[in-house]
Amino acid sequence: MSDQSISSHKPTGFLKLLLTLASLRLTVILFLISLFLVFAGTLAQVDNPTWTAVTDYFRSFFVFVPSQVFVRFFQAFRWVPPTTQWGGGFYFPGGWTVGFLLLINLLAAHAVRFKFNWKRSGILMIHSGLIVLMIGELVTGLFAVEGNMTMEQGGATNYLELRETSGFLGKINGPELAFSDLSNPKSEKVVVIPNHMIRNKGKLSDPALPFDIEVLEYMNNSSISENTSQGNLATKGDGMSVVAISKPEVSGTSSDQKIDLPSAYIRLIDKKSGQENGVYLASVWLSLSSTKPTQEVTTSEGQKLQMALRMKRSYKPFQMELIEFKHERYLGTNTPKNFSSKVKLVDPVRNDSFETLISMNNPLRYEGETFYQSGFLPGDKGTILQVVRNPGWLLPYLSCALVSIGMLIHFGMHLNQFITKRANNHAS
Amino acid sequence: MQVNKYLLPGIVVLGGFLYLFAQAAPNSQPANGFNLQGFGQLPVVDRGRIKPIDTFARVSLMVMNDGFQSFKDENGVRQPAVRWLLDVMTSRFSDKGTAEKLKVIRIENDQLLGVLSLQPRPGLRYSINEFSKQLPALEERAKAAEQKEPAKRNTLDRSVLQLAHHLQSYIEIASLQTPLIIPADKELEWKPFMQAAIEAKNANRDDPATKAFGNMILAYERNEPSNFNKSLDEYRSIIDKSLPAEASISKFEVFFNHFSPFYHCIVLYIFVFLIAAMAWAFRPESINRSAFWLCTLTLIVHTWALLARMYIQGRPPVTNLYSSAVFIGWGCVLGCVILEAIYKNGVGNIVGSVTGALTLLIAQHLGGEGDTLEMMQAVLDTNFWLATHVTCITLGYTTSFVAGFLGIFYVLRGVFTPTLSAESDKSLTQMTYGIICFAMLFSFIGTVLGGIWADQSWGRFWGWDPKENGALLIVIWNAVILHARWGGMVKNRGIALLSIIGNMVTGWSWFGTNQLGVGLHAYGFNDQLARGLTMFWISQIVVLAIGLFPKEKWWSVKARKQPVAGIASGLKTKHQPA
Repeated sequence: MSDQSISSHKPTGFLKLLLTLASLRLTVILFLISLFLVFAGTLAQVDNPTWTAVTDYFRSFFVFVPSQVFVRFFQAFRWVPPTTQWGGGFYFPGGWTVGFLLLINLLAAHAVRFKFNWKRSGILMIHSGLIVLMIGELVTGLFAVEGNMTMEQGGATNYLELRETSGFLGKINGPELAFSDLSNPKSEKVVVIPNHMIRNKGKLSDPALPFDIEVLEYMNNSSISENTSQGNLATKGDGMSVVAISKPEVSGTSSDQKIDLPSAYIRLIDKKSGQENGVYLASVWLSLSSTKPTQEVTTSEGQKLQMALRMKRSYKPFQMELIEFKHERYLGTNTPKNFSSKVKLVDPVRNDSFETLISMNNPLRYEGETFYQSGFLPGDKGTILQVVRNPGWLLPYLSCALVSIGMLIHFGMHLNQFITKRANNHAS
Repeated sequence: MQVNKYLLPGIVVLGGFLYLFAQAAPNSQPANGFNLQGFGQLPVVDRGRIKPIDTFARVSLMVMNDGFQSFKDENGVRQPAVRWLLDVMTSRFSDKGTAEKLKVIRIENDQLLGVLSLQPRPGLRYSINEFSKQLPALEERAKAAEQKEPAKRNTLDRSVLQLAHHLQSYIEIASLQTPLIIPADKELEWKPFMQAAIEAKNANRDDPATKAFGNMILAYERNEPSNFNKSLDEYRSIIDKSLPAEASISKFEVFFNHFSPFYHCIVLYIFVFLIAAMAWAFRPESINRSAFWLCTLTLIVHTWALLARMYIQGRPPVTNLYSSAVFIGWGCVLGCVILEAIYKNGVGNIVGSVTGALTLLIAQHLGGEGDTLEMMQAVLDTNFWLATHVTCITLGYTTSFVAGFLGIFYVLRGVFTPTLSAESDKSLTQMTYGIICFAMLFSFIGTVLGGIWADQSWGRFWGWDPKENGALLIVIWNAVILHARWGGMVKNRGIALLSIIGNMVTGWSWFGTNQLGVGLHAYGFNDQLARGLTMFWISQIVVLAIGLFPKEKWWSVKARKQPVAGIASGLKTKHQPA
């Protein structure tokens, strides 16, 4: 790859800028920067949840890299004691910035240097494949949505619980506080208070609810303990027998827990009387219980409401029924060999109904969503499917094909050239 | 002339053949009249896999005594692992107490030795009898250690737990709870011998297989070889009828264990290196050809061994860290043999034998922890992705290492010998460049295939998991080298030095990322790996520093200016006219 095609007379102004932007030197520098970014972003996962690290380092314009991440590297090899702490840090360009600059560099290089001919076809394919890959990651970063669908053996569901993720605008899809009125069995009335409103402590009021709400404490992640001797904020409801303890958010390191399970202590105040109804514990832990996912709240007038802090739901126009969940193990051990869920999907809108088997490495794709076998309820009582909607899911496949063929063409031509040359040498 | 040219290589390869043949030949048996080999071939189930008793015995013994698949009996004679297994299996109803007297348990920690009132001795291997009085104290400590969180356990706690674990497996074997054998009931359900025997007795049923197995063990205890062999034949005929395929794979695996081909490949690769090194010092051509032929022979054995593992396991070559080392070694040697076939300048022999021996030594180390043909986690249970993604990624590591070792070779040869002529300088760089192109191809395709697998299994093309990022680093680093060369930023030496850094990056990706204990690919922390990788990085930095010496100080560069015929010419890099 020589730069012969660059014009020999001295460039000026815009052309000079373009040449700088197109230079291979810039490419190499940007590669080195991305190398460092990926390395630091890997180390950051020791202390942070993987998705926080991804948002901070790769889906950002700038990132503050604390020196402590390198201590983690040294500790991994026992070069420094496990207690070492380094303060400070520095700013570094984030994934969006590096990706954007690489794109400019690539486009400029093609504008300045590359002519289309057969010799260049391999390079062109590789580079367009890389652009597709970057666009794919951008689309995923911006638009992908993940959730879970949980079904008990023989049960059916028509919604997924959205996973809390981080986007451009901060945390999204966190759990919401839901009050449902079941007094009319024909139509359930639900009032939902979105996550961002309960996340900040303070008072809330909604005309549809018979009481005002005051959030005393909100925990991003929590565990539940039955030991209430250390004091308990709750004065009524399920929170009387258990207490929620705040926990650090899930880091990439923990293997036992994959998602954060938030809890909140809320005080309900009767609107009419102005009297305190009680302090309740609302927790995703409680709403995960299959037997009693909600707790009952009674107003001074005797109106009954079901309350739960639950993951944000996305209702689907179709229904999924779990026919059978299977959990195979290796001979004579408890090591799982395979999980599979036989499900029936009924879609009245599209007049569609079919049975299918979802297993490890064998997902179901339906209407832009993909359903993966992800886990199971304790005692193999039901299945947990991971549901992903990613409009860019096909792009990596396209990219892989383009780059692979491109490399084969390019390096193949090199190899061919080399062999011909050697054969000629040999003959002479 | 022709004879002379091929005489020495012929003799060397013949020597290699004879060596391998001697190792593969079956033991003169039977031992004391017992058909131990036939016993070892019986299929059993342990840790979810059907395997021969021989493998079960070797692995159980190796885990306990930390490294050996055989043991010394009371008279100091080496004995096969199945013999130890039979001693343990009969220990409950024997009053000879043979198993308790065997010094096969390795205890390294000196605090623990103190707790057990043992004196340190060479080899640090002890028998159960030697510390049986301290067992209650050990049990108490093990319980206390168990209660602690794993991160808070100290070295003594870990040693105590390890020993307790060894004793637990010992007890399971002694009480005939493990491994699972196949009684001849209709469902062919695998059961521990003890359970099968009790069930048969309770149901008042005559189960021929259980009976034969029981008689076999009894006969061993009573030292009646002919009865042992008779019951063994009975049991074997039942197995051969009900599980013919498993029985024949089992037999093959016993041969594989006995031959231990990877070990002999290490020996042969070291010989290849020695011969290749001699080729540099003395008569180049025929000695170099000898090295090449022997290297090719070893590669054939290496390939056979790799295929044999695939046949036994029914899986693509790379399924765990151990097999990745074996496969990387194979790829390195294959690449170097091809390079040697093209260039015939001795470089391929040296680099191939060094990388082959090193990777197999690493594998030997990694294999010390248990059965290397272990079962896979559910999500990894797919031959298609193992065959494509894992193989590609591993080939990416392989080619990056070959490029890196060519870089090391370039530096050491240039600085410390006068043989790096301008021409071999060029051809060595050409080789490195070509290999880096392959490294780029394999690591990129492998990484993206991994992404596609992830998309297929949990809906995320790229999770920024440490292992994925490690693979990405290799891709980026190879891209750095290629673009730096295309932009004229580095020349021959620069490419060599950058590919040595490539070794460090690949080392991080292969082993280092595991040390963080993060993510889906994490296998857990390992002190030994941490130390090994640290040493590797230091060695690479040393070579880098040597490579940074000003070029006019390099012996080869000095030699180029004042060529002395005969000494400085080194190996021929040009071909004879046809």
